[in-house]
Amino acid sequence: MNPLIPAPVPIPLPAPVWLLQSLSVFTFILHLLLMNCLVGGVVLLCLSAYRGRHDPQHRELVRRIAPVMPSVVSFTITFGVAPLLFLQLVYGQFFYTSSVLMAWGWLSVLCFLLIGYYGIYWFSFHQDELGSRQFWVILVTAAMFLAVMVLFSRNLSFMLHPADFYPRFLARGAGGFLAPPNPATWARLMHVFVSALGVAGLGLALLAGAWRRESADLAAWARRYGLRWFRTWIGVELLVGIWLLWRLPVEIRAQFLGADRLSTGILLLAVVMVVLAMWAAPKSLTVGAVALAGTLSLMAVIRQLVRVAYLRPYFDPHALPVQGQWVVFALFAILLVAGLATMGWMLYQLFRRAPAAGPSAP
Amino acid sequence: MNYPFWEVPVIGGGLVIGIIAILHIFVSHFAVGGGLFLPLTERKAYRENDPALLEYVKSHTKFFVLLTLVFGAVSGVGIWWAIGLVNPEATATLIHVFVWGWAIEWVFFLVEIAAAFVYYYGWDRLDPKTHLTVGWIYFGAAWFSLVVINGILTFMLTPGRWLETHTFAAAYFNPGMLPSCLTRTAVAVALAGVYALLTASAVRDVELRHKVIRYAAKWLLVGAFVIPLGGIWYMSTLPQLAREMTMGAAPAVTIFTALAVFFSLLVAVFTYFGPYLYPRYFNLTFAFLIAVLALATTGVTEWAREAVRKPFVIYNYMYSNTIRVNDLNRVRQQGILKSALWVRTHAVDPQNPSAAGEDIFRVECASCHSVNGYNSMRFAVKGWRRSMIDYQLQHLNELKGFMPPFVGTIEERQALALWLVNLNPELAPEPAYPAEKTGAAPPTNPGEPKP
Repeated sequence: MNPLIPAPVPIPLPAPVWLLQSLSVFTFILHLLLMNCLVGGVVLLCLSAYRGRHDPQHRELVRRIAPVMPSVVSFTITFGVAPLLFLQLVYGQFFYTSSVLMAWGWLSVLCFLLIGYYGIYWFSFHQDELGSRQFWVILVTAAMFLAVMVLFSRNLSFMLHPADFYPRFLARGAGGFLAPPNPATWARLMHVFVSALGVAGLGLALLAGAWRRESADLAAWARRYGLRWFRTWIGVELLVGIWLLWRLPVEIRAQFLGADRLSTGILLLAVVMVVLAMWAAPKSLTVGAVALAGTLSLMAVIRQLVRVAYLRPYFDPHALPVQGQWVVFALFAILLVAGLATMGWMLYQLFRRAPAAGPSAP
Repeated sequence: MNYPFWEVPVIGGGLVIGIIAILHIFVSHFAVGGGLFLPLTERKAYRENDPALLEYVKSHTKFFVLLTLVFGAVSGVGIWWAIGLVNPEATATLIHVFVWGWAIEWVFFLVEIAAAFVYYYGWDRLDPKTHLTVGWIYFGAAWFSLVVINGILTFMLTPGRWLETHTFAAAYFNPGMLPSCLTRTAVAVALAGVYALLTASAVRDVELRHKVIRYAAKWLLVGAFVIPLGGIWYMSTLPQLAREMTMGAAPAVTIFTALAVFFSLLVAVFTYFGPYLYPRYFNLTFAFLIAVLALATTGVTEWAREAVRKPFVIYNYMYSNTIRVNDLNRVRQQGILKSALWVRTHAVDPQNPSAAGEDIFRVECASCHSVNGYNSMRFAVKGWRRSMIDYQLQHLNELKGFMPPFVGTIEERQALALWLVNLNPELAPEPAYPAEKTGAAPPTNPGEPKP
């Protein structure tokens, strides 16, 4: 059966495909970094809240990590908007179809997100009052974010399988909850999850650096603990990565195993970077973090290459007409630079000063 | 037509969007107006050297952040989610026209989020001048994000010259953009007052409570004074049919428009004679009452604004059922079942025409009508014979100006009529259907926009 694929919108793209895809990848990298910290962070919090019932170090760890999490959630969501926008522009006919075919699941992302987000605020504002209920609150919160992760992974994976769309429609109509699995479903999901655990470990080690003045022992322990998480889970991630590679269709796998020099080179570089990150992190967190950020960036590029490869038999976005809206794009670019600079200035103002007794009249 | 249709039982997809959108608007306008309220009130506290007022602003900030950053942000994403599920074709079209507009809005939103956090966590860390600057940055970013999204929203009802030029500038600077921007800014200021009344009513210090209640009431009244001015200006830019729908042509829309005016007046009158004149008698219950009325005003106004856009989702460009005006003749010629991708039957089976009728209903009608729930088709055709339904289908856009024309072949129209009449099986079956030439339906009906 020929796959049913909606026709693209009969309006030219407002910029060349390479620019839209580059922006999609660039903004996705920012989202990916934060999303890893969020998902790994809530799992880490969950575990520490459980162990913290008897272990004061874990208790203290929870006390210090929790207040950071609301802003991580907020920026994860916000940075996730842009890549989804560019994805809908270029590959909308696949994305909307897969979303509609699992509409209830896709819509429920909002509920899970809302409960998880308020859960994390509740947890961070009322840790002391929660007492032994702490663990249950963060467990439910973590479950919400993990549900969001599963639904995202399933939808973005389903959109790459347009041949499954019409059979699914005939069998279940529109509006299901979960998309049908494909050979790479579980490997892809585990790849996201395990990566998050590892990245959050390094995030913890970095965060611990800020606690050195107040509590050197805690900072040293948290750094060791975070690094252990990082190295363990990123080690596992390498195995999961191989699993995922083997679950990809044979022609796409071949693309990364020599058939295409660029794809193979990027994958190799990503592996080298991650090994460098694991090796360097205990000696220099900065080098480790930069290498890990580089790895994640390369993984975002690989993800884009895989998407293009999956959809190549059905659709070539380069064939779409383009009519550049360059003036508005220039305005966007200028505002983006100005906006990032403003954010940088505000954050600098916030973190350059220690908390004071309170504001006074000027 | 181009995408599978998500049938939401009972309430229909339109209400899913409506519920999320109304709640979002009620909070997101507060995110803008509250963003002005915070630095102005903080500055007032410094100028009057009033530490108690400053403490109030601090506590209001926490409420503000918890409501706008969490619910406001997630429900904003929620509208995007919902329109993408209910009407992917229109969403994709908007994204093609406005992607850089949305990207710009995203930048403002990023700055807004960062500023909100720095403002909140900066109360004890920043000097007052820097803190106030962050507050102004927040408001600037929030207001510009409203300005950007407002132009996209008004485009759908008043696309103006875009229909001919297809340029971003023509799309964005559409006739409804400026008046709607003024109205929404005024709504934001009024809602800042509504929410401030809620938090002010909970203040324990009696003197401070009275002061802040009266101060918050002024915000609401200023907004309430400007809203009608913006509203009248906005109404003057509406397409003729849309304006007529609010003035009697469509009773439900007229009632909702009247309710919007009535609730707004009620809020303004209650506020003037309550918290403004007699703050000492004002309490949390009264504040909730005003908030509920304000939410009701938002609800009916937004409902009416959406309703007057019918029969289009993008005026004179795409009908509510996502069929483009330019595609009408093509679809008429080749039939709706051959034009639509996501149907189970691609031709009317003479043995079972009802199956095709159901598919056609999903493609052409279900974006506004449910079978048994909201805007129910079963009730709409109750008591009608098949010939009556068929006649209505032939002249839909003439009989009801806010409905798109039926497009499809004669066999498809008859199949739909059969399926519709079967929704009420208690009606006696009609005698044999009158003979009619088969094939493509007659060309455009009067009143249709020229493709």
